[in-house]
Amino acid sequence: MKNQWTNLYTGFVEVKASGKGTERLINELIRQGVSVWDIRRTAPGILVFCMDVKEISNLRKAVRKNECKVTFVKGSGGPFIIKRLIKNSGFVFGFFAFLITIFVLSNMVWGIEVHEASPDTEHAIRKELDKMGIKKGKLQFLLLDVDEIQKQLGDKIDVLTWVGVDLKGTTYHFQVVEKETPEEVKTYSPQHLVAKKKAIIKKMLVEKGKPIVSINDYVTKGQLLVSGLIGKEDKPQMVPAIGKIMGETWYKATVEVPLKTHFSVFNGDESTRHSIAIGGLSIPVWGFKNPDYPDYVTETTSAPFYFLQWKMPISYKAQTLRSKEELIREYTKNEAVKEARKMAKASLEKELPEDAEIISGKILHESIENGKVILSIHYQVIENIAIGQPIIQGD
Amino acid sequence: MAQKWGQRFRRLLVKTMDLPQDVMMDLPRITMIGQLHIYIENHRGLLNFTDTEVRLLLKNGQLLVKGRSFVIKTILPEEIMLEGKIDQVSYINE
Repeated sequence: MKNQWTNLYTGFVEVKASGKGTERLINELIRQGVSVWDIRRTAPGILVFCMDVKEISNLRKAVRKNECKVTFVKGSGGPFIIKRLIKNSGFVFGFFAFLITIFVLSNMVWGIEVHEASPDTEHAIRKELDKMGIKKGKLQFLLLDVDEIQKQLGDKIDVLTWVGVDLKGTTYHFQVVEKETPEEVKTYSPQHLVAKKKAIIKKMLVEKGKPIVSINDYVTKGQLLVSGLIGKEDKPQMVPAIGKIMGETWYKATVEVPLKTHFSVFNGDESTRHSIAIGGLSIPVWGFKNPDYPDYVTETTSAPFYFLQWKMPISYKAQTLRSKEELIREYTKNEAVKEARKMAKASLEKELPEDAEIISGKILHESIENGKVILSIHYQVIENIAIGQPIIQGD
Repeated sequence: MAQKWGQRFRRLLVKTMDLPQDVMMDLPRITMIGQLHIYIENHRGLLNFTDTEVRLLLKNGQLLVKGRSFVIKTILPEEIMLEGKIDQVSYINE
């Protein structure tokens, strides 16, 4: 027996035969090898049956030999469905328009949410995002990478310590950590102030407590500076000693600066190639020509397309070719020394607390070795050397 | 007379060699599934078909199937599959 389901693709017709010799017509057809199925007698003298579209010429031959009339009731299967689709092409068009609409909408930015930011920071972030082109209604794959957004936001807005950028579906979430640290909770437990490191005391600002040392005293690490025990000696009262003891401290730094340095820099020339990647295959769409600069770095960003929440195997890929140039920087000895001092100072300043001040730097030792200038520098710094030490009860 | 001799010979073969009779003797092989389906092999053509009665030509005589709401699901030169409610199957020998 023939498989019936293939008829769905090739198409079949329902035939109505009327007249006397309908049974003979069927016999004739099957003798010719035409497959016929679903034969029904709907009324006396009328036979309805199904047959392949391709066999209609055989049917005509068979009809000529018999005394009966044949009409076609309807056609089903592939060719007829296509015919109907063409006739109702509006529906087909609507269906594809629907798919495309959903596809476009699922690749748009629908929301930008900034979490845990103060109103002015949020405003700054939104303004910056506007500048970057991240707005509601933009297509996601044309925008910057999430990592890139994160980097640029961090660079451009100073008050941000960290911003986490997350793209969830069609919404960008910005998780913000601002620099302003919460105000330190003042400790009101009784404490002494002791020296953090060895220093010569230059200035004393004692708010509470009994100063033990005086200006120009040399103190070592851990030495008591301001006592938290005040009052009479036989009946002392414990208070938290608070104050700033500015002392002169010393730092030694060694820096090396090479006289000759190779750099690679971008000179700003760049071209972008756009392509659509399907699986592993990438089809270029725009930007075919090779760059006219010889040395370049390729940067690839890709953004997948979405259909509703599903990531599709198709993605948009942009390759940016940035022109690269090699630069050689050469210092004379004096320039190198200057640069080295600058570097040393900068790195020291980074280490020191904000209220510290570098008052002088002396070069202790200077030498040139293997094309490098090596400097040892001694710095004098004024900084707060006081640090709290709790008074243990019963002491 | 010659045909009768042939028939006899075949019958003998079937008896002695245990061959299936429908193959050797061109008899119809009828398979029924309850009252729902009837599947007939080795017929020689459709004689009459209405929704209550089907008459098939056999090599010897005819086969008459009676019932209700008959539909021929498939028909091939020697096979037919009938669907409906089958009440009776009978042979008509002239």
